[in-house]
Amino acid sequence: MFKKTLIIVISLALLFVVGYTPAVNADSDVLVIGSAAEAVGLDPRLETDIPSSERLNIIMEPLVTFGASMDLEPRLATEWGLSEDSLTMTFHLREGVLWHDGEPFTAEDVVYTFEWILDENNAAPNRALYEVIDEVVAENDHTVHFHLAEPNAFLLNNIARMPVVPTAHGDGEDFRTDPIGTGPYSFESWTRDDVMHLVANDDYWGGTPILSRIEFRAIPEDSSRLLALEAGEIDMYQGGVVPEELARLEGDPNVTVQRVTGTGHVYLGFNTRTEPLDDVNVRRAISHLINRAGIIDRIQHGIGSVATGPVPEGLPWYNPDVTTYDYNPQRAQELIEEAGVDLSGLTLGLHTNENPLRIRISEIMQNEAQQIGLDLDVSIEEWGAFWSGLQQPDHEYDLFIVGWVGQVDADRAMFRQFHTDGPFNFGGYSDARLDELLEEGKRVPSDSERSIEIYREAQEIVANNAYYGFINYYEEVGLSRPGVDGYIVHPYTANAWQNAHTFTKE
Amino acid sequence: MTKYIIRRIIQIIPVIIGISILVFLLIHLAPGDPVHLLLGEEASPEDYERIYALYGFDRPLYVQYFDWASNAVRGDFGRSIRMGQPVSLLIYHRMGATLELAFFSVFIAVIIGIPLGVLAAVKRQSVVDFGTMVGALIGVSMPSFWLGLVLLAYVALRVDWLPMFGRGESLVNGFYLLVTTFDAVPLWNALRYILLPGLSLGVIMMGIVTRLTRSSLLESLGMDYIRTARSKGLSERVVVYKHALRNAMLPVITIVGIQLGVRFGGAVITETVFAWPGVGRLIVNAISQRDFPIVQGGVLMLAVVFTLINLLVDLSYAILDPRIRYD
Repeated sequence: MFKKTLIIVISLALLFVVGYTPAVNADSDVLVIGSAAEAVGLDPRLETDIPSSERLNIIMEPLVTFGASMDLEPRLATEWGLSEDSLTMTFHLREGVLWHDGEPFTAEDVVYTFEWILDENNAAPNRALYEVIDEVVAENDHTVHFHLAEPNAFLLNNIARMPVVPTAHGDGEDFRTDPIGTGPYSFESWTRDDVMHLVANDDYWGGTPILSRIEFRAIPEDSSRLLALEAGEIDMYQGGVVPEELARLEGDPNVTVQRVTGTGHVYLGFNTRTEPLDDVNVRRAISHLINRAGIIDRIQHGIGSVATGPVPEGLPWYNPDVTTYDYNPQRAQELIEEAGVDLSGLTLGLHTNENPLRIRISEIMQNEAQQIGLDLDVSIEEWGAFWSGLQQPDHEYDLFIVGWVGQVDADRAMFRQFHTDGPFNFGGYSDARLDELLEEGKRVPSDSERSIEIYREAQEIVANNAYYGFINYYEEVGLSRPGVDGYIVHPYTANAWQNAHTFTKE
Repeated sequence: MTKYIIRRIIQIIPVIIGISILVFLLIHLAPGDPVHLLLGEEASPEDYERIYALYGFDRPLYVQYFDWASNAVRGDFGRSIRMGQPVSLLIYHRMGATLELAFFSVFIAVIIGIPLGVLAAVKRQSVVDFGTMVGALIGVSMPSFWLGLVLLAYVALRVDWLPMFGRGESLVNGFYLLVTTFDAVPLWNALRYILLPGLSLGVIMMGIVTRLTRSSLLESLGMDYIRTARSKGLSERVVVYKHALRNAMLPVITIVGIQLGVRFGGAVITETVFAWPGVGRLIVNAISQRDFPIVQGGVLMLAVVFTLINLLVDLSYAILDPRIRYD
């Protein structure tokens, strides 16, 4: 029995030593992207997660898209404009664009895509983004009009988030797992949780892609994915970088690190429906207890920057002069005295999800709150429970640490969160002037002086009322192999690989 | 025997019904709402209500359960809320990866663990025994997560032909092609992908098997029937392998069976570290997304597999120990 076992073991070992196949990613014509999470599906009308968008934004294209500096760039539309009354948006479509099945792309496809989303019989989760559209009409094959029920200055940004789907295939049973688009790479095959293969679209209107194939590998464990990048088995690392690793990676000649300010922020939310958080001075006092620089430096190892308001730094509406609350426990104490509230014996609940960074921030806040005699009871919840909990209109979270991503314009960054009727107004915030401004902001052209004035004032109201204790703006970190050229880390991660056809690899 | 098997299979039915109710209640009563998670941060409250109703979550729980159960009995486990694909298809596509990894790791554990355990028992109190037991203790104590990362960092990183993630060819298909077309490449491709995840699962189990084999064999060797066998003048070889080992295998097989069942449930951690596309990852992701149909279907499938393995383990007792009879 021993002998037999030994023979089997030795012959197996021999098989491994003798056999030889080259490393997984020796091919200089294939781009391998290691992704933290698998896509849910590939139908832009149904997906809400970033990993799905990242993949389908290579296969399909919207009319206009966000470039690397968050400006809108032409994609399937070459020109666009708004009528005098701001109620009709017209797009002139690119000519000579073909779907991956060889059929021409026309205005009918645009009509089909948006009508499908607006149809209440379909479960399009993003429908609210397009609700203001009354009707989509094709004037001819290359001109399409969007008629709006009321002016909406930011609709174009929402249209930039929706790739166009082909009329001929959009209703197909398997469109979500075997899609057809106009993008630089077409879908080839997908083994969920393992690998997705895309192949170059030689007829792409923007020129034949340089690399012939793209492989998406779903590698959920950060350490495994990082090892794979350092070993050269993947060319690009997608998904959160463990902050502790960043300094080492920046010194590693085998990894190219790119950093850019993202489109979101992390904040400490106050529930103004509960005492004593209904008192603005108490909220201001707690805001003065957030050691932002310390958190970014020590916990996030330098990733991110101090946040002062809801609008991301790079956008034109960003107000650099809002009221800020620097880390100042003494001032906090004074504010509490001014407010005349007695915090002794009071315990407030601070809630957040399992995110390790947020857990550590919560613990720090718990310590800091002691300085004004406030006890915080920290509870860590699983994301699904926490996210559902926050959305209950009568939730009992006093304080909550959570974040926003994809804040591509001032309306997205403020209306849903701070308008009295905003669907994601988690803290019962209500200010008549703020409501007025946020409603007006939707109506005036987004590139006008007035728009900037409106949102700068709105940001000041939010800051002055201390609705959120802003913590930090996100920073996107892109990791790739030095041989990969053409990749620029994108502030809006869903668009990370939209220009993959221009990438080269040594 | 046949009667016994039929009776046991019929006994599975109430177990399955019980589990299905329990899982249904647990996942539905847990905080967190699949529609909130599905909609992300775009939807209006009206869309939420509409889509909530579209999935039928506004109906009473018992109605939802009976609706699900009556479809499940007919083999329809519904569609994933998140992905829209049929649950049976999603599980089926991952079953191969999970089964292969489970059998491969158990194979490694058994083929190395049992001989080592025998060796340690036969050479009791020797250096060999001591060394094997220390090794087994280390094996049992290592977290599979850690062992997986060590294998990646120190083995896969240095050995060119060992991939660091994913699954290559199907192992079964590799064997099939080797036998039918004498093409060893597919089998090789399957083996080099499964080797490290298989080892990281197998080594830990190997520790358990080795220790159990040793103690169980030592116990058997102290029995009266062994003294009888020895006094009959049988060679030590025959005494150990034919008489003692056979009896000593009963607890080992029980443990191996349970371990196999656990592995079928998906070795979530190993699957995550090695990006292995198995059932465990599917179900764990589904739990965090509150994708009820996948959780219900997946757990039910695992329950069936687990109970069937238990049955097989019980039947194997009869083969090993002639005193055990099932009538």
